[in-house]
Amino acid sequence: MAGLVTTFGAGAMTNSIHEIREADFLFVIGSNTSEAHPIIAMEMKRAVRRGAKLVVADPRSIWMTTIADRHLPLKPGTDVWLLNAMAQVIIAEGLSDENFIAQSTEGYEALAERVANYTPEEAEKITGVAAADIRATARAYATTRKAGIYYTLGITEHTHGTDNVYALSNLVLLTGHLGSRSTGLNPLRGQNNVQGANDAGASPIFFPDYQSVGDPEIQAKYEAAWGCSLSSEPGLNLNQMMKVAGSKIRAFFIMGEDIVMSEPNVAVLEEGLNAMDFVVIQDIFLTETARFADVVLPAACFAEKDGTFTNSERRVQLVRKAVEPPGEARADWRILIDIARASGADWDYQSPADIYAELVHEAPNFAGISHERIDSEGIGLQWPCPTSDHPGTKFLHEGGVLRGKGLFQAVDYKPSVEIADSDYPLVLSTGRTLYHYNAATQTTRSAGLPEKQPEAFVELHRKDAGQRGISDGDLVEVLSRRGSLRCRAQVSRQVRRGCIWMPFHFADSRANLLTVDQGDAVTGTAEYKVCATEVRLLAAAAADDKTLFPGAFWGEPGGATSSAT
Amino acid sequence: MSAPDQILVDDQTLKFCPGETILDATRRAGCSLPTLCHDPRLEPVGACRSCLVEVKGQRRLMPACKTPASPGMQIETRNERVLRHQRVLLSLYLSDHVGDPSECEDGAPCELHALAKDLGNLPVLVPLQRKHKPRADRNPFIEFRSERCIACARCVRYCDEVEGVNAITLTGRGLHTTISTASGISLYDSTCELCGGCVDVCPTGAMAEKMPLSAGAAPERELEKVRTTCNYCGVGCQMDLNVDRAAAAGRGQVVKVTSPPAGTAPSDGNLCVKGRFAYDFIDHPDRLSTPLLRGADGNLHPASWEAALERTAAGLQEVAKKHGADALAFVSSARCTMEENYLVQKLSRAVFGTNNVHQCAAT
Repeated sequence: MAGLVTTFGAGAMTNSIHEIREADFLFVIGSNTSEAHPIIAMEMKRAVRRGAKLVVADPRSIWMTTIADRHLPLKPGTDVWLLNAMAQVIIAEGLSDENFIAQSTEGYEALAERVANYTPEEAEKITGVAAADIRATARAYATTRKAGIYYTLGITEHTHGTDNVYALSNLVLLTGHLGSRSTGLNPLRGQNNVQGANDAGASPIFFPDYQSVGDPEIQAKYEAAWGCSLSSEPGLNLNQMMKVAGSKIRAFFIMGEDIVMSEPNVAVLEEGLNAMDFVVIQDIFLTETARFADVVLPAACFAEKDGTFTNSERRVQLVRKAVEPPGEARADWRILIDIARASGADWDYQSPADIYAELVHEAPNFAGISHERIDSEGIGLQWPCPTSDHPGTKFLHEGGVLRGKGLFQAVDYKPSVEIADSDYPLVLSTGRTLYHYNAATQTTRSAGLPEKQPEAFVELHRKDAGQRGISDGDLVEVLSRRGSLRCRAQVSRQVRRGCIWMPFHFADSRANLLTVDQGDAVTGTAEYKVCATEVRLLAAAAADDKTLFPGAFWGEPGGATSSAT
Repeated sequence: MSAPDQILVDDQTLKFCPGETILDATRRAGCSLPTLCHDPRLEPVGACRSCLVEVKGQRRLMPACKTPASPGMQIETRNERVLRHQRVLLSLYLSDHVGDPSECEDGAPCELHALAKDLGNLPVLVPLQRKHKPRADRNPFIEFRSERCIACARCVRYCDEVEGVNAITLTGRGLHTTISTASGISLYDSTCELCGGCVDVCPTGAMAEKMPLSAGAAPERELEKVRTTCNYCGVGCQMDLNVDRAAAAGRGQVVKVTSPPAGTAPSDGNLCVKGRFAYDFIDHPDRLSTPLLRGADGNLHPASWEAALERTAAGLQEVAKKHGADALAFVSSARCTMEENYLVQKLSRAVFGTNNVHQCAAT
């Protein structure tokens, strides 16, 4: 979010989901699209079927690599090397869009100087991706007009996540692949309202619509609107909050997040939570985090309340109440009003539509959107949508980069904070599977999904498993410097040698006992994708206890990872 | 009739765009042509023959779904010849189908029976009464009821062209053509990703959703559909929650999730396994139904809203008073609505005076 705000002036998908099918070149990096965003994967499959070229950069062999023209199996955390090398090729081979660079960007010289030494041959040594593949990808990207880049948390969940986004932005600005249909840079949002939560100002540094907390004019505007005085001191981001939980932070109000499942290095966080003075949890289930709560407030789920979610492509869409919440549970918005009133504020909203109207009143990019309008037009509206007769915006930067000029950000490769060593030689990445969702409070309570994928597993390369005497289905212990967990082993064609992979969904085997809690310098997003681990055999599986393959994809026979064996 | 972008359909002049078929042009103009194997997301195959129309100058009837519109084309969609063809065709389909329309309506409404009803006066043929062996599949979501299948292959083509996993295929020949997985294995063991698109596109309810059937949910015609936005990933698929109003002691119960029509932004009527099938949590017995307060014994106990709100406000205010407002932290949620996120940040900033408000999705 912050990376794209800096380089382009708006932190969102530049294009619409529907435009993906018309792209001619798709560069998918750090996104297991068919499992995490199945519907976007359908659009990509449609594009490939039409003849579009697809390049997938991912340490693992994933479903999307089976239809890709090229798979770049880079080592986890080496994205900047790969992307800078692509920039180097584009500049060195004269494939950049000089007119666009001259007219619409700034900072080009610094970038050109910085990437000059990032040759594909050197990149091959660090990333493990063949120089010829890097060259071919850079050429194909630069020379195809309708070229789109798609990324997810494989890019951002690193201590250098913002650098990764900068490196991707650089490729876009070098080639001018921005501001037209199917052409741009697209973060695929992982949760229903990631875009909306940020748009609405649930941020320590931004009011709604990315208006800075530190800007005195903005502060004055909100003080007038809300009739109170406001702090100009930027707040702590989530990563910082978690680190000072129990010390500087003494009370938590937590709505709809299961932080002891989702936050990294949770053993330390749990100690902090034990030291808190006061914790309020507002959720639909008694979550793992509720163990630390003083007060638990029962909330309504999405089917039991009205409101809006804003999706990845900036589309504000209605959520409609279909059924009544159970027992005394109340909609979150209603509870928040109740808390404010109990705390002495005189909030008086009759409906979510009222609240939304207040939100957009001070937020110019959303000013033309209302519940009533979405309802009457029968379709969600995409911001920017400044006036009530504005049709919404399908793709950004059409009339020039929103920031004014696109900003090149020269970045250098920084290694991940923890790299494999002789004690912990295996690099762990975590992620989502097709059949579960995040802390899995909902999906483990839905028929069928727990049967398909009942428990956690760790994917290991055949040789790494063999060295440790591990075979399919065995019970193993996964250890890092921060903790350990037990789960079944899955000898997989998907992972590289020296890498392991785990889903983070399961409360009995919390992958986040292992992960590191160092965050990105700008966003605070933690490095869920790289930490050093070891795997030990605990008990071999009985011959009749080899569970069925739990995932959605076995790995490609003869694919990039297996051919290396 | 010399304009380069016009065709004449039943004496009505219609415009068409380059690349459009006769069906595209007529549908855009709001004329209805019967179709069974057609879906706008799929390449036309012209397999079911129900959209045949008479094109002047052509000896045979032509499939509207597969015939490109060309300038000056003169088309008849409802003349005696076309209607006779439609009646005979639907009779043939019905002779190998569940006879009673009402029996077909426990799952999706049957498009075949609906077309037959619209057309009326169908010749009655002797039913084929083929033997159908019920096929058990241990997957909990999708059931194939071969006695309703008309082999239009919408499901097979969707699985190939849209979902791209090719889990199901046409198998057998002639009269015995039916749908199966490779070697007849369970969908659980196949490449199937359980998106349920086959259920959505099936015109006759042959691909059916197991859960509402086994749970004894009310027939589809008695369910109320509520259009909403999926609560899982960031795509924001539109979906229809099918609500049984009388269920769950009058609270209403979501018994099924169905797709909006193809073409509905942003997801084109597609859903994934979580969107279509992971709705049971809504009515799960584990749902919190009352506020809980931590008692002196260290356990959580049910409490009234009044007590819970009072304790919440007092607890937060006490910490703020003792350690300053910046000792409070508000964790909002990318799972909740825009409105709720707005209120949390306003609560944090305006009521308690701190900018310590965030959520897990700021990447």
